[in-house]
Amino acid sequence: MRIIAKLDVKPPQVVKPVHFEGLRKVGSPNELAIKYYEQGADEIFYIDIVSSLYRREILHQYIEDTAKSILVPFAVGGGVQSVDDFSKLFHHGADKVTINTAAHKDPSIIDAAAKIFGGQSVVVNIEAKSQQDGRWECYTDCGRIPSGRDVVQWAKEAEARGAGEILLQSVDTDGRQRGFDIALIKAVVDAVNIPVVAASGAGTLESILEVAQMARPSGIALASVLHYGKTTIGDVKRFLIEQGVEVAV
Amino acid sequence: MSQQIGVVDYGAAGNVFSISRALEYAGAKVKVVKRPRDISGVDKLVMPGVGSFIDGMRELNASGMSDVIREYAGAGHPLLGICLGMQVLSNVGFEYGETEGLKLIRGEVRAMECKGVVPHMGFSPVSVVTDSPILKGVSPTDLFYFMHSFEVQNYTDIIALSDYAGHQFVSGVQRENIFGLQFHPEKSRQAGIRIFENFLAL
Repeated sequence: MRIIAKLDVKPPQVVKPVHFEGLRKVGSPNELAIKYYEQGADEIFYIDIVSSLYRREILHQYIEDTAKSILVPFAVGGGVQSVDDFSKLFHHGADKVTINTAAHKDPSIIDAAAKIFGGQSVVVNIEAKSQQDGRWECYTDCGRIPSGRDVVQWAKEAEARGAGEILLQSVDTDGRQRGFDIALIKAVVDAVNIPVVAASGAGTLESILEVAQMARPSGIALASVLHYGKTTIGDVKRFLIEQGVEVAV
Repeated sequence: MSQQIGVVDYGAAGNVFSISRALEYAGAKVKVVKRPRDISGVDKLVMPGVGSFIDGMRELNASGMSDVIREYAGAGHPLLGICLGMQVLSNVGFEYGETEGLKLIRGEVRAMECKGVVPHMGFSPVSVVTDSPILKGVSPTDLFYFMHSFEVQNYTDIIALSDYAGHQFVSGVQRENIFGLQFHPEKSRQAGIRIFENFLAL
């Protein structure tokens, strides 16, 4: 089980939204990336949460500054529109690139990126919102716009198109620190045969253990719970090991 | 004086940035090698690893770097391939169809077949099966970052093996001055830096 620190960035700050809205500044991406790297994070995810909304390119200087400070994998996303955007991010220090909004407009970007960069570098970011019928719908533009696509179907399509990983976020539970949407994560993990990183909802150590045991994702992304100093990556890993979950230390 | 290490830039793909930073961290001076003439003055060469086999080879063939790399390795200079960079050292790859590799290491590159989810992503140990200077000091508790869907399959030149979801695969190869590693030393904390230090010490 990989334990990942997720930075939601509104340059020049890492912010932490609740339900993807209401931003609070929590520090610079570079400082926090180093802090979580030193705490033992297996990976760092950097999501520019406004570039898609503002229709501007991700700011490469911030990517480089952060990438050069850490010796673990670095996934970057936000506002990625084209294969050329993928390429630029890799050249500025990303090891994986996440994509959401543009893939809903033209899903073939997943195929094209996987063919050039290898599937292992292409992460499809899903922002899920629960529906009354018990299913989940994919949202785009940082949880603002419904896409009409069913989350489980979209996850399967992303895999079929060559994506190497899914970052699964929940608009309902994100930033609240009240537990993950276990049913959502389990539904996606069971539907695909590529790694799923579960995000949105880590609050207590028990809530992290719960998602690890109940949904068995390949990775768990932590944000607010780290930003507000409720716990550290080291404490999370120690706790999971005590409870019999396999993590790298 | 610090050694000049060439890092091959494939074009669209490749993580030249990460590899360069990690090599500098280990004490190297880095030169990006994109065109054949860039090879001059390079003491040792690293081939990084992001991309698919077919596109990686297409780029290397188009730029004329394939021949340059073969000549460079043939002359006895140290060459280190990482992830895709290791895979393209093989005879042939089967990612998006059959593609000829650089044929510097005997082997073929095929999709991983195992019970776990693929790509294999995360930190795993490597077990050294043949002493190799590149793996000097690697202990069974050291963890290295893997991020791959394909693996090199061969029966010679193996220096390290790893396990993923009950499936054993080749994580390191060496044929004289040519080294290949399936994992990413540049993403493996201090354990990875040691690998680069070993490479610099060759």
